[in-house]
Parts: sequence; structure tokens; C-alpha cells
Amino acid sequence: MITAWRIFTASWKHFARNAWLAVATIFVFMMALLSVNVLLGVNVVMDRVVTVLEDKVDITVTFKPETPEQVLTQARFYLTTLDQVRTVQLIPADEVLAQFRKRHERDNKVLAALSEIDRNPLGAQIVVKAKSPDDYNFLLQAIQSPQYQTYIQSQTYDDHKAAMTKIREVGEQVRFAGALLVAIFALFGLLTAFNAIRVAIYTHREEIAIMRLVGASSFYIRAPFVLEGVWISLFAFAMAASLYGVALVWAEPVLRPLFDGADPGIIAFFLDHALLIGGLELGAMLFLVVVVSWVAVGRYLRR
Amino acid sequence: MIHLEHVSKHYPPNIVGLHDVSLKVEPGEFVSIVGQSGAGKTTLAKMLIADERPSQGRIILGGWDITNIRGWEIPQLRRQIGVIFQDYKLLPNKTVFENVSFALEVAGASRSRIREIVPQVLKIVSLDSKAERFPRQMSGGEQQRVVIARALVHRPKMILADEPTGNLDTLNTQDIMDLLLKINAFGTTVVLVTHNREIVNALRRRVITLKDGRIVSDQAHGKYVLTG
Repeated sequence: MITAWRIFTASWKHFARNAWLAVATIFVFMMALLSVNVLLGVNVVMDRVVTVLEDKVDITVTFKPETPEQVLTQARFYLTTLDQVRTVQLIPADEVLAQFRKRHERDNKVLAALSEIDRNPLGAQIVVKAKSPDDYNFLLQAIQSPQYQTYIQSQTYDDHKAAMTKIREVGEQVRFAGALLVAIFALFGLLTAFNAIRVAIYTHREEIAIMRLVGASSFYIRAPFVLEGVWISLFAFAMAASLYGVALVWAEPVLRPLFDGADPGIIAFFLDHALLIGGLELGAMLFLVVVVSWVAVGRYLRR
Repeated sequence: MIHLEHVSKHYPPNIVGLHDVSLKVEPGEFVSIVGQSGAGKTTLAKMLIADERPSQGRIILGGWDITNIRGWEIPQLRRQIGVIFQDYKLLPNKTVFENVSFALEVAGASRSRIREIVPQVLKIVSLDSKAERFPRQMSGGEQQRVVIARALVHRPKMILADEPTGNLDTLNTQDIMDLLLKINAFGTTVVLVTHNREIVNALRRRVITLKDGRIVSDQAHGKYVLTG
């Protein structure tokens, strides 16, 4: 009990009396944590961008103007029952015409041509969004069933096909590169922290040798250094988390316009995964500090 | 107290640190080990605190055969010996009080015992008023007195002083030697490793002279023998 208390107080005294070294080590640890988290944040934003782009893709099926209402309702119902479908929206012919007029309100020739026809030349539309980009091929085939094929005037999926393939490729590449970069930066952070501990212990090498000469056991010498490393890790983690939290609160409104005013989801991601990310980062740092400090002090213990 | 039987120490490739050294030091003795640089004094001192192992022979300290002492036993050995070095070897980030009490802490002494003994020992070396200072705030002579206090505090059976006055002026040297004699008068064995002829000659105690790793002279009330 006495020994545990002495080790505890010695670690704090050591921390306070070597404040500059402790601050420098905390700074290195913070940089390592922030670099990993910033990259993780960038990865989340990129992922969200890809998701938003994917979300913009749909199949718009335009029916012939003479298509009976019953067929349209049936087609909508049929599509709704498919597992691959996320949403189905039926736009009546009148609304399609209204949208067309609005789109061309400054094009007098088009409006004049429309007014010459005494009926609505446009048919109703069904807009289908799939749950996954992989599902669009299946949905396309489903829509073109003989039951509906004769009523379909056009469908826009072919127009989006190339773009969608590209988005999917880019999305996969972004996710892979992001994960790779996070892993590299995590490794880089660990190596930086590893070196910072070794340098900190190196500056105390003579002190370690003296303690040994005076009759201190290996554990009694090592433990305060290890514990001091734990304090440094906790300080660095708390400071990095606070700084990063403030940065996220600032960044989210700045990013919002990129998503047409929608939530970029970066704060939500970190809140949802706080325990996992925080636990992994703090756990890895504490593990590293304990093992490296223990081994590094041992190098100067000699016999 | 100390018993060396045919102790040799060789360093690769073929450097002789000590060669076939045998000696006995009785409890309460004051022994000076002298010789020129490279004679083997420091090698002998390092063996007594298990900082070096002999290549051949046996070393027995207070009845304990430390020839092949295990790593985990070394701290226990060092807690029974008070060591004084030329370069002080004080912990720079600890105060005078903490440096002295550290020797007791490592042995598991209670807080009340530390609070009782450390001030007494600091008084013996006349540093009781400077207990809260750090080593960097003290002179060389004061730092060496802190080292003596640290060596004394756990009441060792033996004090090993390796060139304790090497960095000190004449006045401080005399102070340190007076302290060592006082410690010896209380019954502690003192082994003084030095190449300072004046000190040894003034002591008129046992002198063991080393040359090229061998004992060339062992006099009960000796003087520094010039071996060059």
C-alpha cells in the first residue's frame, strides 16, 4: 500500500517537475491522435458525399399519355412490393406538364408550341429509387415486363448509367483509400508516440541508473515512469478530444452547403462511434505507453 | 565483512581489470584502496556493489556470496551498502530531503520512520536547513554531504566511497573525510577508493595498493606507496 502510494505520488511529482518534457510529449501524442481523427472525419465526409450522389440517382419512367390510370396504379403497386425498391413516386400527367412548363417558362417557342396543342402531350411518370445502386439493373428489367412495356414511352436510367457506374467506382476507391490512409496515419501516430516515449525515458537514463545504484527494485523504478506515461496519455486524449469536438462543431455548418443544406453527418458519426473510436485510440495509446515505457526504462537499468 | 578469494576480471579482448586478488576486510575497519588510474580500484569497487561480476574467484559480503548474484537480489545487496561517488549521483528532480529519503523508501520504510530519521541524518551532515533545496541549488561540497547522508540513512554495514573528494577543494575534502571517520567510529566499515596521496597518508589506516590489477601492498597502518 505504501509502495503503491509512493509510486503514485512519484509519478505526479515527476510529471510536474518535468513539465516541459511532459507538455512536449502531450503535444506529440495530441498531434498523433488529431491526425488520425481528422483523416477519419475526412473519410466520413467523403463517404457521405458518395452516399448523397448515389441518392440522387433514380429511374424515371415516362408513360405514354394514353396510359390508363389503372395501369399506372398497378405499376406503382408492383414496384412498391419489390424488396429492392426504396421509394416509388407517381407523378400524374398534369403535374408533369406543370413541371415542364415551369422548366421552360422563359422559352417562348416551347410554350407557344404547347398552347397550339389542345391536350396534354405528356404522360405520367414514375420515379423509382433503389435501396442499393446494385439494384437498378434488376429494377430496369422489372419495369420492362411485357405488362407495362407497351405503355412506356421512355426511361431515364440509361442516361444515368455511366454516371452511376463512375460514382460507384469513385465511391469504392474513396472508401478504400480512406481506410488505408486512416490505417497509415494510425501507424504513423503510434510510431511518433513510441519515439516520444523513448526520448522522454532517454533524458532520464542517468536518474534511472542512480535509482538502481541506491537499491531500488526494477519495478519501483519502472512504475512511476509508466504511470507518468499514463497521465500524459490521458491529458493528450482529453485535450485532443476537446479540440476535435470544437473543430467539428465549427466545421459542420461550413460543410452543410456542400450537401444542399442537409446534415453532413460528421458529428453524428463521431457521437455514434465515440465509445469505439475513443476506446480504441485510448486503449492503443495506453498499451503503447505501458509497454514502451517498461521496455525503455529496462534498457537503462543494466543489472 | 568483505572476503575476496582469487578474484580476477578480464575484459575482451584481453584487458586485465583485476588479477588473482584476495583480501579480507573485518567489520568496523577503515580501508583505503589506492593506486594509479587503471590499477583496478574502480573495477574492485564495482564488484562490491555487483555492478560487475568477476571472471574468476569468489566475493563474499557480510557472509553473502555475491559472486553469481541474481538480478532481483542486487537491490537487496545495495540497500545494505552505502555508496558515495565522485560525481555525487543525486537525483536532479528530487529535493535534498527526497534524495535522502529515497534510500529508505526503496527499502519500504514507513513514512513516520522517514520523517524521524532523515532530519537526524541531515543534521549530522549539517544540511538540515537545506532540506527543500534541489541538488542544482547547492555547492559541490554540499552535494557530496547529501550523498553521504543518503549512504548513511539506512544504517548500512559498509560504506563504499569511490573518490568521494575528487571534485572538492581542500576545505570540503577535510569535511568529507571527517564525516567518514565519524561514521567509521560508530562501527561502520568504510572502504575508501582514492588516488589522493595526502588523504591516505593523513589517515594512518589500513592501505591496500593496487597496480595493474594486482595487490602490491597491504599495510595495516600504511601510507600511499608510489607504484609508478
